[in-house]
Amino acid sequence: MTASRWLLLVLSLVVAAILAIAIGTINVPISAIGDALRGDQSTPALVVRSLRIPRVILATLVGAGLGMSGAALQGTMRNPLAEPYLLGVSGGAAVGAVLATVVGLSFAFVPIAAFLGAIVAVIAAFFVARVAGSRGDARVLLMAGVVVGAFANAAIMVLLANAEPNVVRNALWWMMGSVADATWPQIEVLFGYVVVGGTALALLGRRVDVLALGEDAAAGLGLDVDRSIRDVFILSSLVAAATVAAAGLIGFVGLVVPHIARGFGARRHRTLIVASGIIGATLVVMADLLGRVLRPPAELPLGAVTALVGVPFFLAKLRHLR
Amino acid sequence: MARIRFLILAAALIGCHASEQHADPSPEPRDDYGTRLAFGVAPKRIVSLNPTTTEILFAIGAGDRLVGRSQYDTFPDSAKLVPSLGPALRPSVEAIIDAKPDLVILYASEDNRPAFDRLRQAGVPTVAFKLDSIEQFRRDTRLLGRLTGDSVRALLVVDSVSATLERVRLATVTLERPTVFIPTWNKPIIAIGGGSFMSELLEIAGAKNVYASVPTPSLAVTIEDVVARNPDIVLVGPQTDSTIRTSPIWRTIPAVRDNRVKVVDLDLVSRPSVTLGAAAVSLANLLHPGIFR
Repeated sequence: MTASRWLLLVLSLVVAAILAIAIGTINVPISAIGDALRGDQSTPALVVRSLRIPRVILATLVGAGLGMSGAALQGTMRNPLAEPYLLGVSGGAAVGAVLATVVGLSFAFVPIAAFLGAIVAVIAAFFVARVAGSRGDARVLLMAGVVVGAFANAAIMVLLANAEPNVVRNALWWMMGSVADATWPQIEVLFGYVVVGGTALALLGRRVDVLALGEDAAAGLGLDVDRSIRDVFILSSLVAAATVAAAGLIGFVGLVVPHIARGFGARRHRTLIVASGIIGATLVVMADLLGRVLRPPAELPLGAVTALVGVPFFLAKLRHLR
Repeated sequence: MARIRFLILAAALIGCHASEQHADPSPEPRDDYGTRLAFGVAPKRIVSLNPTTTEILFAIGAGDRLVGRSQYDTFPDSAKLVPSLGPALRPSVEAIIDAKPDLVILYASEDNRPAFDRLRQAGVPTVAFKLDSIEQFRRDTRLLGRLTGDSVRALLVVDSVSATLERVRLATVTLERPTVFIPTWNKPIIAIGGGSFMSELLEIAGAKNVYASVPTPSLAVTIEDVVARNPDIVLVGPQTDSTIRTSPIWRTIPAVRDNRVKVVDLDLVSRPSVTLGAAAVSLANLLHPGIFR
């Protein structure tokens, strides 16, 4: 990828972030952004500091995390449909979140339950693949993830079938994804996961390049295939689980962003993973901005808007995929 | 404006009342699914699956004939002695039939229609009332009175509630009307809209709902929209109170920052029922301290 393209990607993210901070139901003067950073207590400054900046940062981290784990998984699994949600992360997280809601735990526990659910599902997928005899076979792992996801869906339906309307509403809201309730402690936790996990994934990029040649070829080149697949699998699951815990289910990003990145000319996986992080962040920030200005006073679910925004980009870049 | 609306309402009610008394042959009373109501033999075994109708039945003296209620029908206290038949929406038709009722009263929302149809097919007399507004409370209480054979008590209940509401309205009519935001849910934020009896109660109690212009009973809103509408007062239940006071997100609303959050008695104001009068008094006291003692 050329330097000018990198610059374009970074600029897009910066512009998206500035727009998302400046635009909203309340017209804030540009000066309010400066006031907000200085700790001013006026309403416009508080709107910028307590509402918009946290949600823009959270959206950036969520998008970056999903984009990077999607890029790493697609390469490792040599499957253009691979993404963290397909490996059971979303299903497991949803079971955790819905279970926490149904048994009446406070909202504060939902992210923890979602994270644990995601990890349990990923371990289950790994275990299923191992029982199937070939933990290192990416296809078996992918199928195991799909099976665990289907099981999770069934569990969610059983849990919600007889739940009270309020519980169903909470669960649905969570499953549609949102960064509206972004808080600084949440951002700090996710920051750790995305930066550490993302860096590790990018560093694994060389190994993913080799894996993408095929497992036999990779083994022939002296790569420990089993270990490499497991490392990518665990790292991307952890990053995705952390994003799900922070913002609920936001589909489409992990699946499509790597393809958009390839459309921009990213070929090697280290490049692809980093570019997918930036594009994912831009996509989620833009989707969140649209979601809150398209139909006031309500807010559209972020998980749906990411697809609405992402599809045109995807179609525009589709010709590069051939 | 409120006065004009009240007069129109009053006129409508008088009209409706007159037609009932003169036994107007044309439009027979119907429930909110459009089913013609049959008045005749007073039912002996009633199932009511709606907190509001259950409470009204107790108020008009039909409570001892209840043989089933929904799990949410807990007012008055004696309602808890009636067996619970589970949910009020999409109820278990078998559980209802098992109670051998000769009158079933459901809440008239779309998701109750299949149960309604099956009960009627099974030969169980079933009616459904929407009961979301003060006007519907007046109309449906009178209809429930006629259905259960307790017409006189029903009229007394309606008159008593109406008199209290009117007393509160007159007491607050000259006062300054603060704008009020009532969140009923946190994720997403759900506000009370103009279609809710809560919005009507606010008007009567001398205030104005910031979302009064929205026709639905409730609506999803963003926190920024609430900040933009800048309510004078935020009315919440006791549980929400502590959550929003400490949340940096909610504190972007000036009323929350300036300690203009008031805690409302949810047991009293959450149903458009016989407690409407008491609810109006309690709201007026909250919004205009010292107006009633």
